[in-house]
Amino acid sequence: MKVSLFATCLTNAFYPEVDLTMAKILKHLGHTVDVPEGQVCCGQIAFNSGYVDDAREVARTLINSFERSEVVVGPSGSCIAMIHHYYPTLFEKEPVYLKKAENLIQKSYEFSQFVVDVLKQPDLGAHYKAKATYHPSCHATRLLGIGEAPLKLLQNVKGLELLPLPESQLCCGFGGTFSVKMPKISEAMVAEKAQHVLESGADILLGLDMGCLMNISGYLEKINKPVKTMHIIQLLGEGIKP
Amino acid sequence: MTTTKDFINGLSSKLGRPTPTKAPTPVEISVPQYRLSNTEERVSIFLQNWHALGGKGAIVRSENDLLQSLQEWFRDQPINWIKENKLALLAWDMLPTIAESAFSSLNWPLTRYTQSSLNIRDRYSIAAQAELGVTGSDWGIALSGTIVMNSNPLRGRAISLLPPRHLAFIEAAKIRNNLFEVLHEVSALGTPPAAIEMISGPSRTSDIEMDLSIGVHGPIEVYVVVIQD
Amino acid sequence: MTMYNLTTDQRVDEALANNFLRQATRRATDRLRNNKYKAADELGNWEEWRGAGETIRKHVIANLDYYLNQLIEQMEKRGVHVHLAKTPADAVGIVRKIVHEQEAKNVLKSKSMISEEIHLNHALEKDGVAVVETDLGEYIIQIAGEPPSHIIVPAMHKTRQQVADLFEPIAGHALSSDTPTLTRFVRLQMREQFLRGDIGITGCNFAVAETGSIVMVTNEGNGRMVSTLPRVQITLMGMERIVPSFRELDVLLNLLARSATGQRLSSYTTILTPPKHSADSDGPEEYHLVILDHNRSEILGDELFRTALNCIRCGACFNVCPVYRQLGGHAYGSVYSGPIGSVITPLLEKDWKKWGHLPYFSSLCGACSEACPVRIPLHDLLVKLRMRKTQSGHTPQVEQHIFKAYRYFFSREKTLRRVLRIGAHLQRPFVRNHRISGGPPPLSNWTKSRTLPMVAAKPFMQVWADLKNKR
Repeated sequence: MKVSLFATCLTNAFYPEVDLTMAKILKHLGHTVDVPEGQVCCGQIAFNSGYVDDAREVARTLINSFERSEVVVGPSGSCIAMIHHYYPTLFEKEPVYLKKAENLIQKSYEFSQFVVDVLKQPDLGAHYKAKATYHPSCHATRLLGIGEAPLKLLQNVKGLELLPLPESQLCCGFGGTFSVKMPKISEAMVAEKAQHVLESGADILLGLDMGCLMNISGYLEKINKPVKTMHIIQLLGEGIKP
Repeated sequence: MTTTKDFINGLSSKLGRPTPTKAPTPVEISVPQYRLSNTEERVSIFLQNWHALGGKGAIVRSENDLLQSLQEWFRDQPINWIKENKLALLAWDMLPTIAESAFSSLNWPLTRYTQSSLNIRDRYSIAAQAELGVTGSDWGIALSGTIVMNSNPLRGRAISLLPPRHLAFIEAAKIRNNLFEVLHEVSALGTPPAAIEMISGPSRTSDIEMDLSIGVHGPIEVYVVVIQD
Repeated sequence: MTMYNLTTDQRVDEALANNFLRQATRRATDRLRNNKYKAADELGNWEEWRGAGETIRKHVIANLDYYLNQLIEQMEKRGVHVHLAKTPADAVGIVRKIVHEQEAKNVLKSKSMISEEIHLNHALEKDGVAVVETDLGEYIIQIAGEPPSHIIVPAMHKTRQQVADLFEPIAGHALSSDTPTLTRFVRLQMREQFLRGDIGITGCNFAVAETGSIVMVTNEGNGRMVSTLPRVQITLMGMERIVPSFRELDVLLNLLARSATGQRLSSYTTILTPPKHSADSDGPEEYHLVILDHNRSEILGDELFRTALNCIRCGACFNVCPVYRQLGGHAYGSVYSGPIGSVITPLLEKDWKKWGHLPYFSSLCGACSEACPVRIPLHDLLVKLRMRKTQSGHTPQVEQHIFKAYRYFFSREKTLRRVLRIGAHLQRPFVRNHRISGGPPPLSNWTKSRTLPMVAAKPFMQVWADLKNKR
């Protein structure tokens, strides 16, 4: 299959290794990977702040860049959820783009969703010896309905002990601009999340959205707690290495 | 002052159309309703749920059964209550026959609420002083452990409310599976009575530090007797 | 009420510094939420019930004119006095007039969010009328002079010792702070009040249009007291609180009791079809129904927000909200707090200056929408409110510029690459151990409590382009 990567704006700028590893895994699974030019961002940051027109412009760029793609895969439940959940509203008054948006919705997936539900390859043959816990990001879980896919991928990693995360359903307090617009509330939320991560007894915190992980790891580091955070893509990528 | 017509027309214009003159087609509702297969099961689940809520309950098949339950629950307290307050046992005008005769056998004199005073406010005071309110029930709900009572001239709403204890009688055949069935029968009445009281256990509150506490306003102890034919 | 004079920021600080409040909020919401899950699971197919609840509420709102008219006709036919209030001031005026005409001295109240919304107690007390809140939680906050901090558990933020201290002047002696002592005190105290009440004011959970009935649920039984004992009863209802008939009531009562507290039915569910029949042995003789609009008709006419009227006030969204969990209700500053409060307050009050912060009291995690028993897309509505606020020019200029810049650079990937390269240089003074741990505002809002990863030396798009060129 020819897979187009959606390198989200956050991973593009801060975590290029996540995008790169995603490309490597998909190649490892025998697919052709391309990264269409012109793509930047799903527009969520502006949309969620109420700047719909600005979001629309950014979304349009994204839609155009993937117009000729067969299937689009991104390392973020939140960005894919933005496309699936909000693009129809965003373009409700623009029939041409609405159609294009619907086309993108039909062919776009979050990484774990794509590998498990589309490719049906929950076992990537990875080995990774560690105690880890998994934070189910809100948008992936609630808006995209991704429940089992990332867990299936992780359960198949040999040597990986997956520990339960207390109150895992709670938001980490990232929420995009929320974290800078309401910093104190956001801090209180991430403090509780960090507490739960520590209580889990895990050495590694896993997730499928770098936004949430950036938030939690940033806090853990500030309070000097040595829990490593990784995108599941990073763990799988390292685990697949011979 | 806004007239009804203006008010309603205002809403219609917000909805972007004239006020409908015909009733809207009701929505279709299909939800899985809780159902038990027979009266026996309904009685047993009803009592189980009533107990879980903190109520006491028993099934009686004869006056003897009933006497036993009443004595077990109240021992000779009613005799003492009566010594203090002749109107301590307050009841509907009409209770199921078995209840009437049990109370006479025990020599626990029932005061009929409607006859306790001609003055409505005095009746409330009498009810507030009473030790036990005794009523029948129109329906029961197995799923939620609920008794349901319609108000009418021979009954008082305060009897099941003001005394610290409430004893209700219900015929087994009146226990329904769920709320839906009861509301369906209420609908069939046409105009409902002034008050339908659905009671599920004693008065409760968790308003102080989420700590469950019984009897803040309504009855503290609730008893139900299921009369099995 | 002091909290109304604080800024949002001050209220947030106060809440976050109050450890008891935060623990109590967690404990209460955890308990209520877990009870709800049990009650929902037990029903067999919660999603079907939610679907039915949503359908019913949408149908009612889409036909609100018809059903409200039907309700009023039914009520008036039987001699109920129906009053329509366009504004909170109208509603307060109507109640004051009734109280005045009855020469009432003692007014009893059971829980009514509408009365909070219109600030009724204050107005009546100014008239020299004694108003007694009979719901234990409402009674506690009435004495404390505070608004409710949770829609179902209004005094959740009070410790038992604080409650005992509040009761002491009324009791005339110190009370031990154990729950049974406190509730017993209230029982005795309220008994006298109940028998003395001239007028009872209640809320309304549902009004049945077909029969003209008012449905009220309580656990304490105070609702029954207030709707039985005083000679005159006034019921306050928001105009959207309607169900067509008993058929739909079944679904909504099930959803309400289970979502609010995890009960199958509340201890007391009362269906009043007033006024009392002439031969009835008790119950109020005169009945007034006050129906409040307060910009609800504006919401009705606004398709973007119409679903906000579907709410059945169960509080389930409070109990899952991670923001409410940290703050409790008072930090919101509004009568209605939690996710639904953040949605409806700006719509009801129409004042961005005062309530513009509320749509941002959410990380948009979606837990509220998931919990709502009638499937109101609450977090979507919060986004739409932000949109409305932005479009009407009520957001800060700086923010507007930031998003203009965002729009420009985030639709030009090649230009953005250059910006990122500059960023990678500019970040150097703030980098320690490969992380950014300080910076100018608004970045500092982040770095105060968190570090930030460095902007990559090469963004992925460049990495990929370089790889391609190599091949």
